[in-house]
Amino acid sequence: MTNRFIERPRGFCALGGAVLTASALPGVVPIMHAAMGCGGSIYWNQYGSTGYLGAGYCGGLSVPSSNIQESDIVFGGLDRLDEQVRSTLEIVEADLYVILTGCTPDIIGDDIESVVRKYSSGGQSVIGAETGGFRGDGYAGYDILLSALANSYVKPAKAKTPNKINLFGVVPGQDAFWRGNLLKLRSLLERLGLEVNSFFTERDSLTGLLGSGEACLNVLVSDFFGLRTAEAYERRHGIPYLTNPLPIGPSATEDFLRRVGEALAIPRRTLENLISDERRGYFRYVERIADAYNDLDWQRYAIIVGDANYAPALTKFVADDLGWLPRLTVVTTSLEGKDEEKIDRVLGNLSCGCKVKVVYETDPSEVAGHFWRIAPRRSDSLHQLSFAPAFVIGSHLERPLATDLGAEHLTVTCPVGNRVVLNRGYAGFEGSLSLIEDLLSVIAFQR
Amino acid sequence: MGKKLKQIAIYGKGGIGKSTTTSNISAALSKMGFRVMQFGCDPKSDSTNTLRGGEYIPTVLDMLREKSTVKVKSVIFDGYNGIYCVEAGGPAPGVGCAGRGIITAVELFKQQRAFEDLDLDFVIYDILGDVVCGGFAVPIREGIAEHVFTVSSSDFMAIYAANNLFKGIQRYSKSGGALLGGLIANSVNLPYSRDIIDDFAQRTNTRVMHYIPRSVTVTQSELQGKTTIEAAPGSEQAAIYMTLAARLADHENSSTPTPLETTELRQWAKGWADQLLELEIGVVRESAAI
Repeated sequence: MTNRFIERPRGFCALGGAVLTASALPGVVPIMHAAMGCGGSIYWNQYGSTGYLGAGYCGGLSVPSSNIQESDIVFGGLDRLDEQVRSTLEIVEADLYVILTGCTPDIIGDDIESVVRKYSSGGQSVIGAETGGFRGDGYAGYDILLSALANSYVKPAKAKTPNKINLFGVVPGQDAFWRGNLLKLRSLLERLGLEVNSFFTERDSLTGLLGSGEACLNVLVSDFFGLRTAEAYERRHGIPYLTNPLPIGPSATEDFLRRVGEALAIPRRTLENLISDERRGYFRYVERIADAYNDLDWQRYAIIVGDANYAPALTKFVADDLGWLPRLTVVTTSLEGKDEEKIDRVLGNLSCGCKVKVVYETDPSEVAGHFWRIAPRRSDSLHQLSFAPAFVIGSHLERPLATDLGAEHLTVTCPVGNRVVLNRGYAGFEGSLSLIEDLLSVIAFQR
Repeated sequence: MGKKLKQIAIYGKGGIGKSTTTSNISAALSKMGFRVMQFGCDPKSDSTNTLRGGEYIPTVLDMLREKSTVKVKSVIFDGYNGIYCVEAGGPAPGVGCAGRGIITAVELFKQQRAFEDLDLDFVIYDILGDVVCGGFAVPIREGIAEHVFTVSSSDFMAIYAANNLFKGIQRYSKSGGALLGGLIANSVNLPYSRDIIDDFAQRTNTRVMHYIPRSVTVTQSELQGKTTIEAAPGSEQAAIYMTLAARLADHENSSTPTPLETTELRQWAKGWADQLLELEIGVVRESAAI
C-alpha cells in the first residue's frame, strides 16, 4: 500500500461520497456546509467518473451550499449555514434535507446539530452529518451519512416485520452500476419472498427509508462498505446484519443466496428452486456463447483493478465462472491489514484453483509496475511479452496499461469516464450475463 | 533609510501576567522615547486595557465581521503616552477559530504595511496562552516578530507552557522563524521561585531577562485602569519594569532554545517537588550545613 500522496484519485472525499449518496436518495436534497469550491470539485469529479450520472434535482452544481469564507471560519459558520438552510427550505422542494459538512467547519467544530435542532423542532425534516473530507474517502462518506440517517431519521419500529430486509453495500456513484446492481439483487431477493429496501432505486421511496427500522435483517453486499451503518441499525434498531462479498456470477450469487436463506430460515425448497431456476436461465445463454468462446479462443489472462467490492468479485467471476486466468488483482481501496487478509482469503481459495497475485495499491500509476514485477519482459525478441492474450478489467485509468500490453480493456470500476451507464448492473446471475456480453463484445469488436 | 523596527512577541500561560507585563513594557519603552504599538492577540481583547484607562477598543476582527475590507488605521487607537493600541479580537468563546482570527488580523497589517507607515520603533505582540495551534504560532512563524519572550512564574504549568513555546520556536527556527530572547520571570517572591526558573532557563539554554515580584502596586494600578508606569511612576515596581524595558530595547541576539522532552520535564519537576518537600520538612543537607 502506498499512501505517500494522492495521485489521480479514483474516487471522492467523505463529503463527495455523502453528497452523491444523499442525491441518490429519493426526495432528499443535500445542503453542503463547506468552503467555496467543494461543490464544484465534487461535481466535476462526478461528471467524469460515474458513467455520466448527471446531477438530478438540486444535485451536482445545484447543491445548496453555505460556501463559507474566511470570516465564517474565524467567527464560526453557523449564521451562514442557518441562512442557507432557511433559504433552501424556502425555495427547494424536498422531503428531507441533509446538512453535510466539509473539512473547514469540522476543523473549527461548527455545531451543526444546533441548526438541525432549530429546524427540526420547527417541523422541518432536516438532519446533519459531519462528513469533512479528512474523515475518509467517499465510501466513508456514504457510511457516515447512512449511519446518521439510521440514528436520527429512521423511525424506531415497535415490531420487526418478518422477511423484510434492508440492502446496503453498493455505493452510489463510486459504483457506476449502483442502480442496476441494486435492482438485480433486489429482484433476486424478492423471489425468495422477501420485502427489500434498496433505498436508492426507482423502486424505492423515502418512506422505505423511514420504515427501515422494521427490517429483521440488514444485508450488506460488501465486506467493507456500510459497516458503520449496519452497526448503527443494530445498536439503535436491534437489527442484526450479514456481510457478504458483492455477488457477481452464478458461483458467488449461489453462496450469497444460501447465506441469506440461512440467516432468515427461508424454506430449503424455496431457496433451491430459486437457485436452480436462476442457474437454468443463466446457462441457457452461456451454453450458446460457449461455441464462440471455444472456437474463437476467447479465454484471456486477466488483470483486475478495482475497489474492495469489485476487485475480488470480478476476479472470482472471471476465474470461477468465465474460465479466464486472472494473474494480478489490484485492490484500490485503502484498507486495514485485517481487511486485506479477508480479500486474500477469498482470492486464495478460488474454486478453479487459479493463483492470482493480489496487491493493494491506491496510486493508478503504480499498477503497471505491479504487473511488470509478476511478468517481467523477456529479452527473447520473439516472446518479449508472454502475457497474451490479455484483458484488463478496471477503470478508465487502466486504459494506457491495456494499450501498452496490447490487451483488451473494459471499464467497470470507478472512475468510469468512457462508458455511459443507465440501468446496467453486473450483480447476481442476470447481471453477470451482461458482464459476459460486455467483456466478450470488446473482444468481438476487434473482428 | 528608515530606522529598524523591532518586533517582539510575548507569550506565556493564560493568567500569568502577560498583558500586565507587556503593557508596562510598552509604557516604559514609550517613556524612553520610543514609538510603540501593542498588538493584543487574544480573543478576550483586553491586552491594551491598562494603556487606555481600562477601556476596551473595537478589534480588527470586529471590523472584519461587519465588512469585508478594513483599513488598519480604523483599528489603531491611541493609548498612554502615544502608544498605538490594537486588538486582534476573535470569535465568541466556543465557536469559530481564534487561531485563524490571529492569522487574518496579522496578515491585514502586513498587507497594508501599517508598521512602516507609522514609523514605529517597536511592535509588541501580546499572545494568548500556550501555542495551542498553528494560528497562535503565526507571529513566530511568518517572520513577523524577530524576538520572542515568555512570561513565566515558577509554577509547573507555566513552565510547561513555556517549554511548549520553546518547542514551537525550535520547530520554526530553521525556516526563518523568530528566535527566543529570553524568559521574563513573573511573581517571583519566594527565594526558591527564582532558583526554579534559573534552573529551567539553564537547562533550556535561555536567559532570564528580569525577575518581577508580585506587587500590590500593580493591582492598585490595574484597578485604576492604568499601567504601573503610569499610575505609580516612582514605585519600586515601575523601576523594575523600566529596567526590563531597557534590557529589551538593548536586546539584539536571540537564539534557539533547547526545550525539554515531556518526560524529561516531568522528571525535572518531580526533582524540584522533592527538594521543596525537603525544604518544608526541614531536611538538612551536607552542603547546607556550614
